[in-house]
Order: sequence, then structure tokens, then C-alpha cells
Amino acid sequence: MASTAGTLDSPVKQIQIEGMVVLKIIKHYQEEGQGSEVVQGVLLGLVVEDRLEITNCFPFPQHTEDDADFDEVQYQMEMMRSLRHVNIDHLHVGWYQSTYYGSFVSRALLDSQFSYQHAIEESVVLIYDPIKTGQGSLSLKAYRLTPKLMEICKEKDFTPEGLKKANIGFEHMFEEVPIVIRNSHLINVLMWELEDKSTVADKHELLNLSSSNHLEKSLQLLMDRVDDMSQDIVKFNTYSRNLSKQQQQKHQYLQRRQQENAQRQSRGEPQLPEEDINKMFKPPQPPPRMDTLLIAGQVNNYCQNVKEFTSQNLGKLFMAEALQGHN
Amino acid sequence: MSRFFATGSDSESEESSSADEITPKAPGTTLKQSLLLSDDEEDTKRVVRSAKDKRFEELTNLIKTIRNAMKIRDMAKCLEEFEQLCRAFLKSKNIVDKEGVPSFYIRLLADLEDYLNLLWEDKEGKKKMNKNNAKALSTLRQKIRKYNRDYETEITAYKENPQESADEEEEKEAGDSGSSSDSDDDDDDDDDGVSAKAFLKKKPESAPDASKFLKSSKGSGESSSSEDDDEGGWGSDPVGSGSESSDEDQGKSASLAVVFLKKTHESEKSADKKVSKRKKIKKEHLEEEPEEGEGEEVEGGWEKVKGGVCLVKEKPKMFAKGTEINIPVVVKKLNEILQARGKKGTDRAAQIELFNALAAITAENNLGQGILVKIKFNIIASLYDYNPNLAAFMKPDMWKKCLDCINELLDILFEDNNIFIGENIAEDSENLAISEQPFRVRGCILTLVERMDEEFTKIMQNTDPHSQEYVDNLKDEGKVCNIIDRLLDYLETKGSTEEICRVYLRRIMHTYYKFDYKTHRRSLGLPAESKSEQDQDESEGEDSAIIMDRLCKFIYAKDRTDRIRTCAILCHIYHHALHSRWYQARDLMLMSHLQDNIQHADPPVQILYNRTMVQLGICAFRQGMIKDAHNALLDIQSSGRAKELLGQGLLMRNMQERNAEQEKIEKRRQVPFHMHINLELLECVYLVSAMLLEIPYMAAHEFDARRRMISKQFHHQLRVGERQPLLGPPESMREHVVAASKAMKMGDWRTCHSFIINEKMNSKVWDLFPETQRVREMLVRKIQEESLRTYLFTYSSVYDSISMHTLSEMFQLEIPTVHSIISKMIINEELMASLDQPTQTVVMHRTEPTSLQNMALQLAEKLGSLVENNERVFDLKQGVYGGYFNRDQKGSYQQKHGGYQRGGYRNQNQNNY
Repeated sequence: MASTAGTLDSPVKQIQIEGMVVLKIIKHYQEEGQGSEVVQGVLLGLVVEDRLEITNCFPFPQHTEDDADFDEVQYQMEMMRSLRHVNIDHLHVGWYQSTYYGSFVSRALLDSQFSYQHAIEESVVLIYDPIKTGQGSLSLKAYRLTPKLMEICKEKDFTPEGLKKANIGFEHMFEEVPIVIRNSHLINVLMWELEDKSTVADKHELLNLSSSNHLEKSLQLLMDRVDDMSQDIVKFNTYSRNLSKQQQQKHQYLQRRQQENAQRQSRGEPQLPEEDINKMFKPPQPPPRMDTLLIAGQVNNYCQNVKEFTSQNLGKLFMAEALQGHN
Repeated sequence: MSRFFATGSDSESEESSSADEITPKAPGTTLKQSLLLSDDEEDTKRVVRSAKDKRFEELTNLIKTIRNAMKIRDMAKCLEEFEQLCRAFLKSKNIVDKEGVPSFYIRLLADLEDYLNLLWEDKEGKKKMNKNNAKALSTLRQKIRKYNRDYETEITAYKENPQESADEEEEKEAGDSGSSSDSDDDDDDDDDGVSAKAFLKKKPESAPDASKFLKSSKGSGESSSSEDDDEGGWGSDPVGSGSESSDEDQGKSASLAVVFLKKTHESEKSADKKVSKRKKIKKEHLEEEPEEGEGEEVEGGWEKVKGGVCLVKEKPKMFAKGTEINIPVVVKKLNEILQARGKKGTDRAAQIELFNALAAITAENNLGQGILVKIKFNIIASLYDYNPNLAAFMKPDMWKKCLDCINELLDILFEDNNIFIGENIAEDSENLAISEQPFRVRGCILTLVERMDEEFTKIMQNTDPHSQEYVDNLKDEGKVCNIIDRLLDYLETKGSTEEICRVYLRRIMHTYYKFDYKTHRRSLGLPAESKSEQDQDESEGEDSAIIMDRLCKFIYAKDRTDRIRTCAILCHIYHHALHSRWYQARDLMLMSHLQDNIQHADPPVQILYNRTMVQLGICAFRQGMIKDAHNALLDIQSSGRAKELLGQGLLMRNMQERNAEQEKIEKRRQVPFHMHINLELLECVYLVSAMLLEIPYMAAHEFDARRRMISKQFHHQLRVGERQPLLGPPESMREHVVAASKAMKMGDWRTCHSFIINEKMNSKVWDLFPETQRVREMLVRKIQEESLRTYLFTYSSVYDSISMHTLSEMFQLEIPTVHSIISKMIINEELMASLDQPTQTVVMHRTEPTSLQNMALQLAEKLGSLVENNERVFDLKQGVYGGYFNRDQKGSYQQKHGGYQRGGYRNQNQNNY
């Protein structure tokens, strides 16, 4: 989705994931997540030069209502300590999250990724899409906030002006970091051995021709976002209209003031005292623009998804047609 | 007290009032205080003559309360009273100027100041006082200081010699009263001679006063006996009733005097000498007064008595014995009684009794029907008057009396053709005497009957509708109807057109809401299940429909007031609707044009209108006109205030929105319980008709972004149903309808049917209809049809073709019906299909967009509006606000950005079909 090539000043250029981590994440979702529910967990690993190696992970426990006082930080610390005892990498390098039809660009994600990246510079967020994976192609993506966005978040300036000054668009919010899945040689050897023995069914989800369900869902979500977007724009519209109206009033007022002062001067009277113009014309509260930006990012994300999906499906359909013709 | 003064002030009333004042004080703890006080009063009474005593009386009263407050150390009260006193004193300034400052006033000022100073010094006591009192004390102290400066000389004079002045007065007082007894007597005699009437009026009041006085002055042991005596003494005069000779009377009172004297002697032992002495003197006065009063009574005869303040006593001796009872005398008497009407102290029950007695006398003496009718009129009027409050309702016995009376009156009127009654006949042109000419009596029987009808409604409103009492009261409805019928007969021969209209309306009001079971049965061709001959007779009576028709048509033709006509039309429609004559009812409603201007009518008419509309809707439902039913009920149901709009109960609301006064008014508007329309039935009918309309509509417009709700209420119920976390089997009527709607959505008519028509719903709703079976059959049919439609809308996309046989089997409808429904849908372009006649199948055209396509269309639309909004922002930046629209109109926008075509998706949309 975002600028794929990591910018030069980014400390992480590539991510190398152990196969086990991937399996663990998938397993986590399989066991706990269902439908639109989201599962999250911690990534552990270390940085080697400009390469981030993720060697292990563990899930956040699901919250239930009766353990509201559950201390997550405490749990993480305990977990890491225990892992350390068994000599596993225990450095915190980010977190992972599952997604539902590619909807993950949200305020919550932004905030937590910001705090991660703020504390641990090289941390990433792994987005795992179980639905796409279920269709036959593993979907795992790593994202980082761009330095620009980091700065904005640091300043917490989400006004229209602030964002304009930072010159940030929805395209420049996240950067995707390329991922390499790597297994140890021993595992590779094992895989080779297993491949011969395995009796994997000939079912190829990848070749499934039905598409409308997935598309419908995506469209539905896209539509919701578009609605949000519309609302935001209307809000912004009223804001800017109010602002300009006020500007006009202010201007008129100042002009009148000037005229009067000029008259007074000609009559030899003292000038009118200066008044606090800002007090008289309080500028309207600008709506925060960050959400709009995020929605735009999300919409973009959906669009990419749909595009990808449809192009793949078209390919499949052509293939099927050709096959049919051949028979 | 004030009443006495109002009647005129002479020494007698003063006496009695002062006596009254002493009574509570006599057993008081501080004898001296009361002594001084009573002195004051006596003093002022003696010194000041009638014009001034009023003022001084006021002052003394205030002083008394101040002294009381002083005794209990209630400073706050003291202060309050003192301020009043100052004001009162100021008022009586001109009198004071003439007479000099009264000594009792000065005395109070002095005493009060001393007292306050004493309290002020008493630090301990002050601490004990509560805050309020302490504050009042200091204010009062300041006030009185300032105030007393004006009367310094007097006060010092009093202070120098307080005892003396008091004694002086007392002595003077004693002498005064002693001597005045004689002079007073003379005075009284004179007075009596001059104003016997006034004296008589006062007399009965002074009597109880005197007795009270007596009671308090003697020991408690004697009180009962003395009372007996007392009553015996007073009670004897009614027995005497005019024929008693004055000698006898005198003797009686003499013996009474002995009793009095004896008692006072006894009381002397316990009480202070001075006090009792004075009392004794006063008692002697009192004795003499009644004595003379009685004498007067006898001599003056009863004719002289005007106004009936004490009517109870007069009752038995309506006329002096020997008086020739003739019409003028009776009329005079009647007027006398009437004059008391509406006055404050009048005993209304007694008045009714009086009228009755008068009527009896009249009848006894054969004075003719004219006067009897007049008296009857008055009896009924006073029965209505009995309750001063408009909201209160008649007591059962009153009500019975009223009914009887009206019946009697009607009897008389029917018997005698020579009586003319009317409101317009002036009092002096009445002809009550038996003569050749017909009687002429002022009065309006119609008004009385209308009032009776209202009273009946009021009684019904105020009775608990679930009690046996209500049933009992309701039995009177027959009587009321009977009276109205009789009146109707009477007025048809004698009354004016307006009167006939009015009585017709009354009749209609008692008919329109009743379902005519007999006619209904007859129309069904069933033999009337007659248990008795009487039943048979009744069932052969006129149809209520014919009666309604006749009465209403007369009103339509003759009425000149809009209101009666409006009510008649509404009742007529209601009656039609109740008896399932839908087309007549609807046509009448449309012809009346009431829908346009009903909001200008008064609330009761509006309530009637609402009732009529509701009945119309229910009628339409019974006839299977679902759409009409829904439309008729929409207004009432959508507000959620059906109860209030139909006048069947008040909604709980904040007090801000409605104060007590309004609530009372609204309560008066309520429709009695037996006329209520079942609200659950109403809601059920509405919801079911909404379901039958809405579910197919929803299925047809599933993807239409611009679809509208037909019924908000129904959607609300659906949402409530959806919000339920756990769905059990339906309990209430609403839940049944919601469950049925859900089944219908899936085209499952059997489940829908079982939810709508089952035992629970039968007992709750459907059995309330007169033609239950027919309604249920209609409902099943409708459910089948609408389910078929819903099914086709929902699942047409999955079929290539569908056999009509299958459909007919699925929905248990005959093939022609299925055929007609599908044809209609095709014609209305609701269903994209064609009928294949030879194979009897429906072939789908498959032009309906798939859900994905629909979604894409929706998205496109949304994006369109998003772009529009976005461009508006852009325009704002450019500073050409609204330029976008202009551009759009010119079409230059499309030219510039050739690629993007606004509205293109819409074109596409249309191409799809």
C-alpha cells in the first residue's frame, strides 16, 4: 500500500521472520480470533545491521470481563523473563495484529505503533490477513510509521494547518518493509522429507472461482469508510465556511475601525483604544484532520485489496475459460 | 363574627361576640392577664359606639394574640402581630384622633416594652431561644422603642399609675354593666320594634353562641345536662310552630333563666368573682334576647322571614297554619327558597327537602300542574347544584332522585297537553294558575336532560371501571336512554327544530357506539335466540342503523350550529364503521371534509373524530382493505399517544407540561370505560396491516438506498425485537407480530400464520371482532398472498423459472390467484419476468442486478456525493462559493474533465433495466 521502498533514514530495511513465528501467529488467530475479532501479540527478535530478525512471538491474552484488573505490562514482562530463562531472544521488536478484510488503518493502530516506535526505534507491526491466507495465499505485511508521521504524532498537531505544513498525505503515513521468511537448514531438510510423505489434498483454494462474497464484504466496508469520509468532509466544509465568514467580518470590522480612527484624527480626537481582536472573533474549533487521513488510508487500502483481488480473479476466469475451450 | 357586623351592628351582637371572646380565656392560667384583657374589651365596647368598634375590635384582637404570643415567648409571632397592629392602628387613625389614643393600646405598648426589656436582660433565656426567635426579639425591641417615642407621655402616665387606671376601668365597667342591663333591655325593645326582621335573622346565630358560652362557664360535669336543657329549650319552638302562645313561651324562657342562674352560681365557686359576676349579667342579657326573639317569631309569623339561612328549622312549618294555600303564596314561598340558592351558608340538601315538601303541599292542595312543573324544575336544578364543584359527581341517591324527578316531570308533561315550557318565557308572563289558558312555565326540560346526561357521564368517569359498582351504574344507562327517548317524543311534538336537533344528538350519542347484535344476527339469517317473549319483541324493534340514519339526516338537514352536525356525522360514520358498512362510512367521511378542518374543533369533538377514524380503520381491516386500514390508523398510532388521543386515559407526563388545572380539564374529557376502543386490538390491527404492507415492500426495495419506511411504528417494533439478546417464544401481541414478520420475510407463510392466528392472539385480539371467523379467513388469505409476493421478491434472483403449480402448492393458493398476483407484479415492473402460458411457468429475466452490483451502485452513489462535497471544499478555497453549481449547469465541468462523467453511474443504472 504505502511507499514500499523504505526511506534511507529508516533503521530497518528488511525483515526476516522465522517460519515458526508465522505459524504461531496463524495458530493464534485460528484458536482465538473469529470473524471480525482481532488478535494481537508481541514480536521478539533482534536487529542485525539494517535487518530486523523476528525470531519469536507470544500472544496477548484475550480479555474477558471478569479480569478487568489484568495487568498487561506485567504479563509481558513475566513472559519475556520466562523466555529469557530458556534462552530465547527476548528483545521487544514490535507487535502483530490480525485484520478483517484488510481493515487495520485506525487510530488505535496509529497510536500504539507510535508509542512502540517512540520507545523502540526499530519496532514494526505485522499485519496478518487470515481471510486472504484462507484463500490460499499467505498474507503477512510489515509496516512502520514514516518519520514524518512520527514527528506529527510527537507534536500532536492534527489541525488542517499542521498537516498541511507537514505536507503529509495518506500515501506517506506508513511504509511497508519487505519480509523474508527464513527457516533454519534443519527445518528445510525436514520439510523436504515431509513433502514426499505428506498426503496433502489436491484442493487448491487458490483456484476458487467464486468471488462475489469477498467482493461484497470489501465493498460493504469500503462503503462504510466512504460514508465516514463524507461526514468528515461536510464537517470540514462547514468549518472552513465559518472561518471565511469570520475572516470577512473581522476584516470589515478592522476597516471600519480604521475609518473611524482616520475621522477622529482629522477632528483632532484621540484614537479609539486597541481591542483584542482575537477575543472578539474567536476562531471556530478546527476539526481534527488525522481521522480523515486515516480513513483515506484505509479506503486506499481497501481499493488496493479489491484491485488485487479482481485482477487475480480475472486471471483465474480467463484461465478457466481457456481450459473449458480446450476440453 | 364578621357576619354579625355585616347584618348590622347593634348592642346585642356586641354582647354575644364579647361573650364569645371571653370563653376561651376564663379557664386560662393567668387570670390577671385575661382579666385585664376582658376589661379592655368591655371598656371599648361600652365607650365606643358602633361605627368605631370595628376598628377597636380589630386592635383588641391583635393585642390578644400578641399577649398570647408573649406568654409562650414566641417572638416571631409577636413581631408579626405587632406589625399588623401598627398597621391597624394607622388605619383607625381618624377614629383615634377623635377619641384619643385608647388606653388599652398604650397599655400594650408599655407592657410589651417592659416584657421585651426583661427578655433582653435575661441572657440565659436568650441563649436558649432559637435563632428565629432571637432575631425577631431584637427587631421587635428596636421597633417598639422607636414606636413608643411617639406615645412617651401616655406611657409614662400609665407606668406611673398602672394599677389605678386598671382598677378605675374595672369599677366603671362593673357599674356600667349593672346599669346597662336595664338600659340595654330598653334598647333592645326599641330595636326590636324598629327592625324585627334584622333581629330575627341574627337570633339563631346568637343562640349557639350563648350555649357555647354557657358550656364553658360551667363545670364539665354539667355541660351535658345543660346542653340538653338548652336544646330542649330551643327545640321547643319548632314544636310550637306558630300556634304556640306567647305566654307559654315566656314561661319557658323564665324557667330557662332559672337554669342559667343556677349554673352560674355553681360556676361562681370555681371562677373568679368578678368574672362570674360580669358573666352573670351578660347571661341575663342573653336570656332576655332569645325570649324576645321568640316572641317576635311568633308574632311576626313566618311570612316575614326572608332568605333561608336557617332553612332546616323552617322546614316543617312551610306555611302558617290556617294560611290559605293558593298559588301566589306558593310562588312566593318558592321564590323565598330560591333566594337562598347559591348563597354561602345555604344547606343545599335542606333546600332540596324544602322543594320536595313544597311539591307535596302543592299536590295535596291541587294547585294545578303548572306550579308543580315549576317546582319540579327547581328541584332538579337544585339537585344539580348540590355539588358546588364541577368535577365532583353526583352521589347515587341524588342521582336516583334526579332520574325519578325527571321522569315525573315528563309524566306530567305527557299527561297534560296544556303546559308550555320554554326558556324564553319571562318570569312575569308565566301562567301558573288554573284557568282556561294553557299553563306557561319558564324552564327548559332539554337543558335539564342534557345536564342529566352529563352527570351520568361524570358518574361513569368517576367509577372504577373494573368494579361491580360500574356495572350497577351502567344499568342506569337504560333509564337515561329511556328519558332521552321520552323527551324526544315530547319535543318532536312541541319543541323547536334546534331543540329537536339537540335531543337527537343526545340520542345519537347514546346509540352510535353500541353494536346492534340483533340486527347483526338477523342479517346473518340466524334465528334470534330468544329466551323470552320480551327478547323477541326487542329484536323486532327498529334497527339502530335506521334510527341513526333518520336522526342524523334530520340533523344534516335542519341543524344550524356546526357542532351538532359535526358530531352527528362523526357518530354516523362510527356507527357505519362499527357495523362493517365500510363504503358508506368512507364516503360519508370523505363528503364531510372533516379531515381538513378538524384541528379547529374543540377537544371533545376531536376525540370523537379520533375515535371515528380508528373505528373506520378497524372496519377497513375487517373488510380486508389493509391499505385503508393502515392509513386511517397511521395518525393515531404514529404519535404513540393513542390512549390520550382517544380520551381513554391520561399519559404520565411531567408536571411542567401539565398543571393540576389542566389535568382536571383533561380528566373531564375522558370517555367512559364502556365506550372505550380496545387499544390492544387497535395496535394489533395497525401492526398487522403495517406488516402486510411493509414486508413485501422491504423485500422489493432491499437495495434501494432511497426507500422509505411505510410505518415507523412497525419498524420500531422490529428493531426492539432484534435488540432482544435471547429470543424466546413470543408472549405479547407485539412479539407475535414481530415473529410473524420475520417468518414472512422468508416467505414462510405457515409460520407467519401460526404466529398471527393462534389461541393467544385469538383471545387477545381476534375474538373481539363480531365476525371473528370471517376476519381470520381474510387474514390467512392476505398472509398467503403477501408471503408469495415477498418470496418472489426475495428469491427471484435464484430462479431461472418457477412453475406456478409449485407456487400454488407452496402458498396454498389457487392457480388463478397466483397468476393474477404475478401478473400484477409484472405489470407494475416489480418483478422482471414473463409468464409462459403453455407450461404455466414464470420465466425470470435475470435483469435484476446481483447484490454485488447493487452494492457497487450504492458505492458509486456515495462516491458521487463525496466528490460533490469535496469539490465544495475546493470551491471555498478558490473563493467562488457556489461556482461549482453554476459550472455544473453549464456543463463545462464535464467538458473539462471529459473522463469523469457525473451521474454516469445513474445512466448505467437505468441501462441495466
